[in-house]
Amino acid sequence: MYSLLDWEGAVKIGLQNESFNGDAAEQAIADVEKGIAIADILWAFPITVVAFIGLLREKFIGFIAAMMVFAICVYFPLIYTFRVSMNFDIVLAAIIMWAIPSILGIFGLWMNRKLFNIN
Amino acid sequence: MIETTIITWIIAIFGAITFLPLFGAQLVMILKPRSQKAKDLIIGKGENWRDKTHFKSALAFAWADIIIILPLYILGTVWVFNGQPWGYIIWISLGVLSIYFSILYWILEKEYTYKSAGWIAYFTYFWGFFLYWGLGAIAHSILQLNN
Repeated sequence: MYSLLDWEGAVKIGLQNESFNGDAAEQAIADVEKGIAIADILWAFPITVVAFIGLLREKFIGFIAAMMVFAICVYFPLIYTFRVSMNFDIVLAAIIMWAIPSILGIFGLWMNRKLFNIN
Repeated sequence: MIETTIITWIIAIFGAITFLPLFGAQLVMILKPRSQKAKDLIIGKGENWRDKTHFKSALAFAWADIIIILPLYILGTVWVFNGQPWGYIIWISLGVLSIYFSILYWILEKEYTYKSAGWIAYFTYFWGFFLYWGLGAIAHSILQLNN
């Protein structure tokens, strides 16, 4: 959200890597990252809120929303992996921070699916 | 076991109509990434890669689609028709990614693809079908799992 309000400020404090004031390549990546930030706010963030509330209350919709969030968190590190220009440290961090916990989350949720009335 | 319905069939067929051309285009992108055919299919007829980064991003999405989305689509559909709840979970996952990328590409590519494809193509097979399929697959899967 902060990145969308003040992109260059977010670059300065390290929340984003690519500036719109850089060279053409940097601007192109910044464009993609801004698109991702908008999609995160419009789609991934509301689902995450629903997932948190739903899981805490052991509701079926929490299970579904959490699976949705995990799908996004597994897929994106893979996109980073395939993008050859991506810094290896960022790829590794995304895999460790998002993909692996999300795979474990999918497994854990499925093992506990009866809590959410799924057979 | 979850019984399939006529809506399940409609979503599966609509999914095939939506995703198979994408997989075809992504295969061209992987096999002949520098060709004009790849550019015509991915960004629009007569359009060019904006720069190396644009090209590399498109290639990354092509690999991810073929290695992840294609097997998931096949697996999810097979399990759905075998009555397995996992099939619907996979459809939900694909649906959420489909909507996510619809938003992303609306922001990134609309000014290029909308212009070259025209509004009918854009709001159907070029972009719209992915959004509609995602919404339909999620809604139907939730109803099926909740029954």
